[in-house]
Amino acid sequence: MNTGGLILVVGSLAAATAAFIWVAMRLGKGGSSRGKDGLPDVQLDKAATVDVEHIFNDEFREELRNRGRLHFEKVIGENAMFLQQDLRQTTAQLNDYMKAEITKTLQEEFKKYEQSITDAKQLALESIEKTITTIEQQRVFLQKQLQAQYEDQKNQAIARFEKEMAGIINHYVLRAIGNEIDLTDQLDYILAELEANKKAIIEDLKSGI
Amino acid sequence: MESKQALILPTSLVSQVDVARIMRELTTLSDFFISTKARPAGSDVQPPRLSRSLDQLAQANKVNLLEDAQRRQLYDELNEVLGRAPLIHMSFASEASPKALDRIIDWLRSNIHPQTLLQVGLQPTIAAGCVVRTSSRVFDLSLRSHLRGQEPYLIELIALSVAKQSK
Repeated sequence: MNTGGLILVVGSLAAATAAFIWVAMRLGKGGSSRGKDGLPDVQLDKAATVDVEHIFNDEFREELRNRGRLHFEKVIGENAMFLQQDLRQTTAQLNDYMKAEITKTLQEEFKKYEQSITDAKQLALESIEKTITTIEQQRVFLQKQLQAQYEDQKNQAIARFEKEMAGIINHYVLRAIGNEIDLTDQLDYILAELEANKKAIIEDLKSGI
Repeated sequence: MESKQALILPTSLVSQVDVARIMRELTTLSDFFISTKARPAGSDVQPPRLSRSLDQLAQANKVNLLEDAQRRQLYDELNEVLGRAPLIHMSFASEASPKALDRIIDWLRSNIHPQTLLQVGLQPTIAAGCVVRTSSRVFDLSLRSHLRGQEPYLIELIALSVAKQSK
């Protein structure tokens, strides 16, 4: 329905209204002049009814119904269109709102998640740092312990070496010499040793005799 | 033979075994003379051979072995020596030669006691020197003992060497 049709419908409605007003005014004038003419009101009513029937006949009414139906359809269509537009707009807004809300919620959740991850990371880092500190302490302790054990074993080995080495060298010298030295060659040494122990030997023999 | 003088033991008489052997020889000799008296005159007799030790002993103490009394006295004195003479045990790393033993017994009888008897043993582990054992003491005069006594010095030398190498 275009603008012309709308003007036509509005014009028809305005004409009908004007006709009603005119008829009413005529009827009012007739009432006041009843005294002059002497016509009863019944006649006026009849005349008005006839005129109304003459004006608003079936065709005109059908035309009006059609026009009203068309207008109603037009209004309904327009409203449907508006409603559709509103619906689309609302849907779009709703979508935007939903998107915004979801985005906001998601961002909040992501922030929370990120915060949780950060906290967990921080906790993990703290835990790792504590573990590293503990391991470092353990390492230092073990290192000290190992060092002490090493020193202890080293000292023991050195002491054992010193003790055993002298014995080994003595044993080696004794074995190497074996019976190679003739007793005649040792006589001077033997007699010197006897001379050194002479007093003790004499005393022991005197006490034994 | 002078009776109051102590019996002089030759260096060939070293141990109690030697003294006992000499005493057996003296007994054999006495037995021979007894049997000679019992034999008829003019019969062949084979006198027992005397050992060099007995000869030296008789010469050193001026004993006439043909005299029965002197032989008996010598026997008694030897018996006394066997019972009373100081006994020293000496162990060597190797077998002692007679010459070496002579020097040692000579030193012992000159410095310790004139009638010292020596019992010789063998102890190869001492390497050199000797181990002297008297009635109640042991004198370790061996190289082994000497080396053991020097162990602290050896350890000191080793420690010094190690210290030098560590530097």
